[in-house]
Amino acid sequence: MPESGAITSSRNERATPVALVQLIVFRLGDEDYGIRIEQVKEVTVTPEVARMPKTPPFIKGIANLRGDIIAILDLEERFRLRKAGRPLPEHSYTIAVEAADYTLGLVVREVPRPLTLPLSQIEPTPEFVQDANSHEKYLEGIAKLPDGVIIVLDMRKLLSPSEVMRLPGKPAS
Amino acid sequence: MKTREQEYRELFMAEALEYYDSMSRHLSELERNPNDAPALNELFRLMHNLKANARAMGFMDLGEVAHHLETLFGLVRSNEREFAGPLVRVIFQGVDALGSMIRAVGANQPLPDAQALLENLDRLVRGEAPILEGEEAENEEESSRKLELSDLVYIQVKKLDNLLNLVGELVIDRDRILTLAQEIGNPALQATAQHLFRISDDLQYSVMDARLVGVGVLLNKFPRVVRDVATAENKEVELTLSGQDVQIDRNILQIITDALLHLVRNAVGHGIETPEERVKAGKPATGHLELSALTERDDVLIQIHDDGRGINTEAVRRKAIERGLTTAEAAANLDEQAVWAFLFEPGFSMAQQVTDISGRGVGLDVVKLALDSLGGQLRVDSKMGEGTTFTLVLPTSIAVKGALLVEVDERPYAVPLLHTDTVLALPPEEFSVVGGVLVMHAQGQAVPVVPLRMLLHDEGDELFPLANKTELQGSQQVLIVNYNNRRLGLLVDRFLRQQNIVIKPLSKPLDTIDLFGGVTLLGSGQVCLVLDVPALTRLFLSKRP
Repeated sequence: MPESGAITSSRNERATPVALVQLIVFRLGDEDYGIRIEQVKEVTVTPEVARMPKTPPFIKGIANLRGDIIAILDLEERFRLRKAGRPLPEHSYTIAVEAADYTLGLVVREVPRPLTLPLSQIEPTPEFVQDANSHEKYLEGIAKLPDGVIIVLDMRKLLSPSEVMRLPGKPAS
Repeated sequence: MKTREQEYRELFMAEALEYYDSMSRHLSELERNPNDAPALNELFRLMHNLKANARAMGFMDLGEVAHHLETLFGLVRSNEREFAGPLVRVIFQGVDALGSMIRAVGANQPLPDAQALLENLDRLVRGEAPILEGEEAENEEESSRKLELSDLVYIQVKKLDNLLNLVGELVIDRDRILTLAQEIGNPALQATAQHLFRISDDLQYSVMDARLVGVGVLLNKFPRVVRDVATAENKEVELTLSGQDVQIDRNILQIITDALLHLVRNAVGHGIETPEERVKAGKPATGHLELSALTERDDVLIQIHDDGRGINTEAVRRKAIERGLTTAEAAANLDEQAVWAFLFEPGFSMAQQVTDISGRGVGLDVVKLALDSLGGQLRVDSKMGEGTTFTLVLPTSIAVKGALLVEVDERPYAVPLLHTDTVLALPPEEFSVVGGVLVMHAQGQAVPVVPLRMLLHDEGDELFPLANKTELQGSQQVLIVNYNNRRLGLLVDRFLRQQNIVIKPLSKPLDTIDLFGGVTLLGSGQVCLVLDVPALTRLFLSKRP
């Protein structure tokens, strides 16, 4: 393969400028989570959410985001960081995330913030953590910062329709 | 408003001009390369279509020239004539003559005389040499030639779909502006909002109108289908079509294509008897099938009527009991309509036995599903020995539907009017409990009643708890819905109002919840779920105690 040389040289990071990633960082429970900015469509104050019957409790309902009707998810409940079935707080923010062919809203309680860091700072999650907990297989890696860690989520895995509708602790149907 | 006649003439013109352009192009190709088989085939096909269209419109002279040219192309195609020499010149003259005839039709002028040309074409067909006039005639022809662009544009349905969606959005925002204008109370703003209302109404109407096609575009495909099925089944069937002019949204027609095909095949294959059986039963040997379309208020009805053996109601009744869809006691009291409704149960029709006995039912649930997806209805009427009529009740347009808004737990829900029957407020005394199910009486019929809340919040596989009358406090708001001849009363908190809604489909991952047909945005910007009555009915039937 003619490209193989190029791949080796890009791995050799002393020769190339540092690859950067931009994350949108938000708080779930007492932990910081991040999503790559290219997977985020917009961040907005949560619009009016209509509860949708027949959905798991962590789906807070549906909302009208500029004419698109999107489902609003509470990842704190999805990851079992808080008790399920709580009503949404009066003020919250929604991160609209783009999946393959639809958009989904993640509700967060504090304003999400952008963050740029070198790609090398994100370490892949060790195997044993991947299997340890139900939500950690959506992890892309963990970014170590001087003041703590950011758990970087892989939205494509998290947002497959069967995963979204799955109740925590139950296998995907 | 244009007359139908004018509209047809314009359509004919547009098509004919397009044929003429393609013919000229292919002819030039053929002249460069006389062995260009695809060009030759295309010429033959275009000529054939032009002939058929011209004759259908009554332009006999035009049809005659096209017919002669078609014959000649046929001979060239079968290598009986060579595309060379004087033949080429006559053919070019012929196509030019077609062009001037088409233009004459468009200008409403008498068609030019083509006698000399027809004679020359005849000579060529007979294998004689044509009599060609001098070059001058041809030069004159050249100087009088005009280039024309058609008055019609062809447009992808996708583009129209997009336009319709945008108009849907516009209408929602318009309603919101109207509400806001009323709240603010500024007269100038209100007047502008009113104007916006009228304009967007017209716009919506125009876009919907642009999507309408005659039902004929589908019906006209059926003579061939009927012929083929009848031949395969050794039946003699005469097909009558009517109402081809009835206008309907193109996408609706697309969605019911398979359903209609199914019903027609069924009617010929199973409904209509063999000639021998028919004669024995005292009927004419040739069966009669009628496909007709008509408008009824805002709906379009498409009927498939055959004069065959009809539905064997008793066989269907027996089969329904056998399959556990009903009990023997309940079945005995069901009227014909209620029994026929079993034919549309999923899987019911798959039973070979029913097909053999009653000659009906293969995949009728598919037909039903197609209609449900459109918010349409399917009606059956049949008489043993005399025949069966299926009526498809279709909306003219998909975009806007009338709906009744109801409220449960302070949230609005929309129920499409097509499935609503009656709205009642009843005191608790009017209800009774039969077999654990709440029942009320409406128009002399017992109707099961269920709180809508219970259907919406149902989870797991357990049956509903037994109904308890003491839970009913004060006047009860009942909405009776109707699906497949089954009536079901839904208890709601409040009736809000009736209004036209634009239904948006639910996006992933929520599209798997079948209780909801989609969402709509109310004038206030509020999100409102649209209930799917067929799914609610099915849920009730599977969960009743």
